[in-house]
Amino acid sequence: MSDPIPATEDEFRRLCEFLYRRTGMIFTEVKRYYVERRMFERMLATGAGSFASYFARLRSDVNGEIEQFINTLTVNETYFYREDHQLQCMTSDLLRERLRVKRAGEPIRIWSVPCSTGEEPYSIAIWLLENWPEVDQHNIEIVGSDIDTRVMEAAQEGYFGKRSLMRLSPALIAKYFVDLGDERWRILDELRQSVRFTPANLVEPGGTGLHGQFDIVFCRNVLIYFDEASRRTAAENLFENLSSGGFLCLGHSESMSRISPLFDVCRYSDAIVYQRPLGATHV
Amino acid sequence: MSEKPRVLIIDDAGLTRAYYRDILERAGYQVEEALNGVEAMEKLLQSEVDFMIVDVNMPQMDGISFLKTLRRQALPLGSTPAVVASTEAEGHDIAAARAAGANHYLVKPLREDVLLQYAALLSGRPA
Repeated sequence: MSDPIPATEDEFRRLCEFLYRRTGMIFTEVKRYYVERRMFERMLATGAGSFASYFARLRSDVNGEIEQFINTLTVNETYFYREDHQLQCMTSDLLRERLRVKRAGEPIRIWSVPCSTGEEPYSIAIWLLENWPEVDQHNIEIVGSDIDTRVMEAAQEGYFGKRSLMRLSPALIAKYFVDLGDERWRILDELRQSVRFTPANLVEPGGTGLHGQFDIVFCRNVLIYFDEASRRTAAENLFENLSSGGFLCLGHSESMSRISPLFDVCRYSDAIVYQRPLGATHV
Repeated sequence: MSEKPRVLIIDDAGLTRAYYRDILERAGYQVEEALNGVEAMEKLLQSEVDFMIVDVNMPQMDGISFLKTLRRQALPLGSTPAVVASTEAEGHDIAAARAAGANHYLVKPLREDVLLQYAALLSGRPA
């Protein structure tokens, strides 16, 4: 089947404006080929013969087309134990800091956003089981969220390929996964049950309030996709989703200091993280 | 070969259950789980176990109320051995658990060797 006719410059610009308003993601001319390929996929899937008819469908969200399109656009590159120095920082420093200010018996809440296909929240669970001798002493709640509902369903199912597991030792794989053959593995049911998945859009103002407040938030390698205004909205949402004194872990190439003055920078031996100051409220 | 001893883990924290399950399964136990006392009673009425690990602070029915309810049941169900595992280490907490019918009281976190030692003791297996 041949590709539909490419969008004109003006059409592409309108599409990008629409995507920006809905997702906060900026797609410039440089990303045009990528966005157009994804749009062609959706045009073929929906039987839209022209950009105009597809765009009309997208704008009126026929059969949840906005979500479908976002799902094809979002990049889901991740693997277990990625940037594990931050996981190390969590067990050597962050949890202890949080426990110092928490009431006895209060749950410890950890949020992985975006969680993609689940590698990050499950890594947190495995890391805690392996490296935190107090793991049974606390009620730990791990929540994974993503704007892409398709990847979250996959996360809940818990099937993984070789690439996802490349950083895990054979011993860890044998311990926490069922080998299905053909280089496919499924994470153990009890781990699947120890992580909860809920959708979240970081750039919708006030859009993540329902998730409540967390002690530690992992939000890695997503702010780089946003423009300045969306980054600021995301930073404000993340701030509101942190308990007073809670910690935010970003990707290694990301810096909150350049985005928002709301957070304090904390240097620990294993990682640099950001903290919602104790007692601070957002003004 | 004899059947695997059956253990019921009663704890509302998912990671805690995963942690105990992993240790016990690797040591050859068959593990069942319940999230609170109510669910534990339902499971035990359907099928009995050799022993239980019971958390104290849980929603719906806590470990102490659960043990009191269990100990009123007919034998042998009513006498199912129980290790209470709690974060509380005060004398009155321990006394309350004992009075409710706990066979042993352990303070969390539980080390693997300690958990297995008590599992062996309560299931009558050589440690």
